[in-house]
Amino acid sequence: MRIRAERDDLADVLARAGRAVSTRSPLPILQGILLEVSGGRLTVTGTDNEVTVRTYLEVEVTEDGRSVIPARLAAEAVRKLPVGAVTLASNEGEMEITGGGPRFRLREMVADDFPKISDVAMDDSIQVDGGQLIRALSQVGIAASTDDARPTLTGVLFEGEGDSLRLVATDSYRLGVRDLDGIKTEGSKIVPYRALRELGRTIGSGSMSILLGDREAAFVTADGRLTVRVIDATFPNYGQLLPDGHSNRLTVDKEALLEAVGRAALVAEDHIPVRLAMHAGGVELNVVRQEVGEETEFLEGEYVGDDMTIAFNTRYLTDGVNAVDDEKIVIETSDPLKPGLLHGAEKTDFQYLLMPVRL
Amino acid sequence: MRIRIAECTVRYEGRLDAYLPWATRLIMVKADGCVAVHADGGAYKPLNWMNAPNTLIEDGDTWTVVNPKGEKLIIEFGEVHFETTRELGEDPGLVKDGVELELQRLLAETPEVIEAGLKVIRREYSTPIGPVDLLCRDSDGGTVAVEVKRRGEIDGVEQLDRYLEFLNRDSRLAPVRGVFVAQVIKPQARLLAEDRGIICVQVDYDELRGADSDLLRLF
Repeated sequence: MRIRAERDDLADVLARAGRAVSTRSPLPILQGILLEVSGGRLTVTGTDNEVTVRTYLEVEVTEDGRSVIPARLAAEAVRKLPVGAVTLASNEGEMEITGGGPRFRLREMVADDFPKISDVAMDDSIQVDGGQLIRALSQVGIAASTDDARPTLTGVLFEGEGDSLRLVATDSYRLGVRDLDGIKTEGSKIVPYRALRELGRTIGSGSMSILLGDREAAFVTADGRLTVRVIDATFPNYGQLLPDGHSNRLTVDKEALLEAVGRAALVAEDHIPVRLAMHAGGVELNVVRQEVGEETEFLEGEYVGDDMTIAFNTRYLTDGVNAVDDEKIVIETSDPLKPGLLHGAEKTDFQYLLMPVRL
Repeated sequence: MRIRIAECTVRYEGRLDAYLPWATRLIMVKADGCVAVHADGGAYKPLNWMNAPNTLIEDGDTWTVVNPKGEKLIIEFGEVHFETTRELGEDPGLVKDGVELELQRLLAETPEVIEAGLKVIRREYSTPIGPVDLLCRDSDGGTVAVEVKRRGEIDGVEQLDRYLEFLNRDSRLAPVRGVFVAQVIKPQARLLAEDRGIICVQVDYDELRGADSDLLRLF
């Protein structure tokens, strides 16, 4: 193969596909990216056998072909060339990368050893606004577990809910639910969040097609395609956890609450909770760490319900408040030992259910 | 322990065929029968090896190591540069770090975390090649050997497999099945363990310690 393209464009497609490549893979071939040139287009594929990212670039083609070269090194080599046109030319087992003077010659890997990855047909795909989906995923993704011992909880549930697409994630301490209205889909699939986290950085945020298959989920934009193996498991029955209504309702300014919890977190260690004493006129936040000291402050707000004190892990509370996309936050509670529900005062399409800490 | 440094070729015949061409190498024959061929690099990992039990047949310049599955390691020697044999005696084994030892203690107190109905017979149960972390009895009365690691890697599975080999020779205990427990188990280790009929269990150290006992769960 032999192609010519602008450095920045080439560096971009190599780096984006390279994000699927794991440096810890036991198979050397998976540390490479597959370059395929035909019909005036370069297709770059990176995979770790679980997540695959494919990116595309229109290039000036002298000769079609395919080659596998080390992912990180190739992307860095192109990125560090002088600005301008870059040529990639494969010859006798080496890929020559030249542009503006410098010349790299990288040993090619055996292209036939690269996993055969065919693109699934997107016939039954659903169309979404990529930017909106990525934002929604980042909201619920904070609640996804990173513990591989419970693989089901490392994923985000995609579920049809009437005329909405519902996204759900939980690590068993908190649960994030986001409804995307106007996106109709059927059935449910669990997609690993570690792959979804990469959507924006690999295939961009334009108009996006999603296919939720039995084995794989595929996300396609004009910039590329990300496919990931779905998690074959039963998601916890979260519906029963979402309350019909709470007896107590606190409404406070989001930024003020974030700042207050941030100050409390200075004193708290991760496992020391912040207490929220809620009563008419607002909430008093208090954190006590025996060997260090304490912090207390009052935050004005609207409160309807019985006076109550509840405690939350500061990090989990901060995550939830941050994820609410509204100026005012509502915290609904019913009992110091039952989960509290956070959502926006106006926007209720995102809900964050958080278990308290026992006082 | 018998050690030989010599010019040699090594041919493995078994699940696949592998060949090491002529070169100078270190060959170790351990008291338990393990044979390992090392190059001058690569840390602990031999170029090729045959785990015990096996039989070493010496025929002039050729050694043939055969295991019960019929796999063969054939070493053909040229010039022998060095050879020595020395009895090393019983090894005290690895001194476990604090977390691993603590993990073992916590699991001994709550073996049901590993498997429902599991009861500990003895911690650090001795075998001729070292102590297995926990020897347990399952709900059906079967014997279970549990090896505990912070990080579950292939060498931990190999270690448990060796213990099982010896434990299953004891008619009072046999059949003994293995459970490999770690905070995180690498995919390769899991694959090897499952291939050998060993069950893998990942445990949460913080949860076992009760560090988050005040943090309530949704489910």
